[in-house]
Amino acid sequence: MHTMLQQWALYLPDYLKGVGMTLELTGAALLVALVFGFILALARLSKIRVLDWAATGYVEIIRAIPVLILLFICYYSLAQAGLKLSGPVAAIVGLGGFYAALYGEIFRGAILGVDRGQREAAEALGMPRSVAMRKVILPQAFFAILPPATNQLSNLIKDTSLVFTIAVADIMFQANSALSQNFLPLDMLLLAGVIYFLFYLILSKFLARWELNVQRRRS
Amino acid sequence: MSNDVVVSARNMTKRFGNTLVFKDVSLDVHKSEVVAIVGPSGAGKSTFIRCINRLHPFDEGTLELLGHRLTGGKAKVPRAVLQDIHTRVGMVFQTFNLFPHLTVIENIMLAPMEVKKMPRAEARERAMALLEMVGLPHKRDIYPKRLSGGEQQRVAICRALAMEPEIMLFDEPTSMLDPELVGEVLGAIQRLAREGMTMLLVTHEMAFAKEVADTVVIMADHEIAEMGPACEVLESPKTERAQQFLSRVLKPEQAADDFVAARTASQGGDR
Ligand SMILES: Nc1ncnc2c1ncn2[C@@H]1O[C@H](COP(=O)(O)OP(=O)(O)O)[C@@H](O)[C@H]1O
Ligand SMILES: [Mg+2]
Repeated sequence: MHTMLQQWALYLPDYLKGVGMTLELTGAALLVALVFGFILALARLSKIRVLDWAATGYVEIIRAIPVLILLFICYYSLAQAGLKLSGPVAAIVGLGGFYAALYGEIFRGAILGVDRGQREAAEALGMPRSVAMRKVILPQAFFAILPPATNQLSNLIKDTSLVFTIAVADIMFQANSALSQNFLPLDMLLLAGVIYFLFYLILSKFLARWELNVQRRRS
Repeated sequence: MSNDVVVSARNMTKRFGNTLVFKDVSLDVHKSEVVAIVGPSGAGKSTFIRCINRLHPFDEGTLELLGHRLTGGKAKVPRAVLQDIHTRVGMVFQTFNLFPHLTVIENIMLAPMEVKKMPRAEARERAMALLEMVGLPHKRDIYPKRLSGGEQQRVAICRALAMEPEIMLFDEPTSMLDPELVGEVLGAIQRLAREGMTMLLVTHEMAFAKEVADTVVIMADHEIAEMGPACEVLESPKTERAQQFLSRVLKPEQAADDFVAARTASQGGDR
């Protein structure tokens, strides 16, 4: 116990650098996933068939591929094809692209889940589709989006641990380099696990409170 | 009622896929006329009034309203025409369909501000005037789900009126309400009628139809069974189908007797 805490203290500065990287990656990948996911959802709901097909194809293919393979494709395969991405950029593209497919489906489901009468009421009042979407459909879809979206966010944080395989210095990377120096994989991975657990705890508490606030405001 | 026709349907036919909803429906509505559409459920009444403001396309025939001429079939109606129709024709739904994420007054202000670009202060003032008219000014900052059905429907009427429509469509506005709440909604509709609003109203309230409507249309079996001046049609219907329908709704106790008699007859063989 004593040595473990000593080792934790010794490597803590490295881990904290890793925490910074993990948070930055999560934030950037989440942003990509939200924006691109929203575009995918709109494309899938569009009356223009080509858009629908393209988006559907993307979603179906991407979410069938393991994230690790996507990360390797973004880092190694694209480089082979002449497009060299840095580790963090490849990580953001890979994770963002994968989670965009998941978020796109969440958005689409939530938009479709809004009562048809709402769309009709907006249309009967003369609102153009874009206005109906912004002012009537999306605010209501938001409540359906929140729980599954926060769920996926905690998955995204955990999946960022895969980026150590493409030489990005996140928490997992720091754990791996520490344990190869002191040969204490149990202690060092435990610290990484504790940090991920703390993330999860903070995030879920924060989001639960936010959800509650939103719901309370509505009634 | 004046002589200018504001809605003119000619031989309109509507199908959902292969299912016929109504066929050959022709109807003229004059300015300030109140037309009540009655008939058994499934007759196509709701679908018909939804076709009038083009929430649904129709398959055959023509529809002229507000200076537009629409023909049935696949041809696309330009977006600007659709929007003009939606802006000038108000609709009130059976299920109210208020926006649950907005307060009462925001529900009423939204369309004027977004569609007509009305300034917020003016939209608010107009919304308050409408709420006064239906007796709900004190509910302005409440969310719809805290209102009774009758209050929700009165707010829905205000929401439609806020766009200053030239024609109002009502699809069974009171059929989701508890009986004691029906009166407050019918009162608001009656007031509109007196102010000269052109209206098409699908309803099951025969007494109300007789009192408020100029013209009654009985729809049954996918077509217009009978139409004419309200009292005439409701008191002495000429067609057999109309008589059949009216005798069923006007004398429910007799319908119940018929039902019991039919059941007794059908069970008779077993004994
Ligand atoms: N969106 C729809 N898709 C398919 N069939 C529909 C749709 N809406 C209504 N119908 C059918 O059209 C017929 C007429 O419905 P409706 O116009 O609601 O009748 P009413 O209002 O007179 O009760 C019914 O048989 C109904 O099942
Ligand atoms: Mg109906």
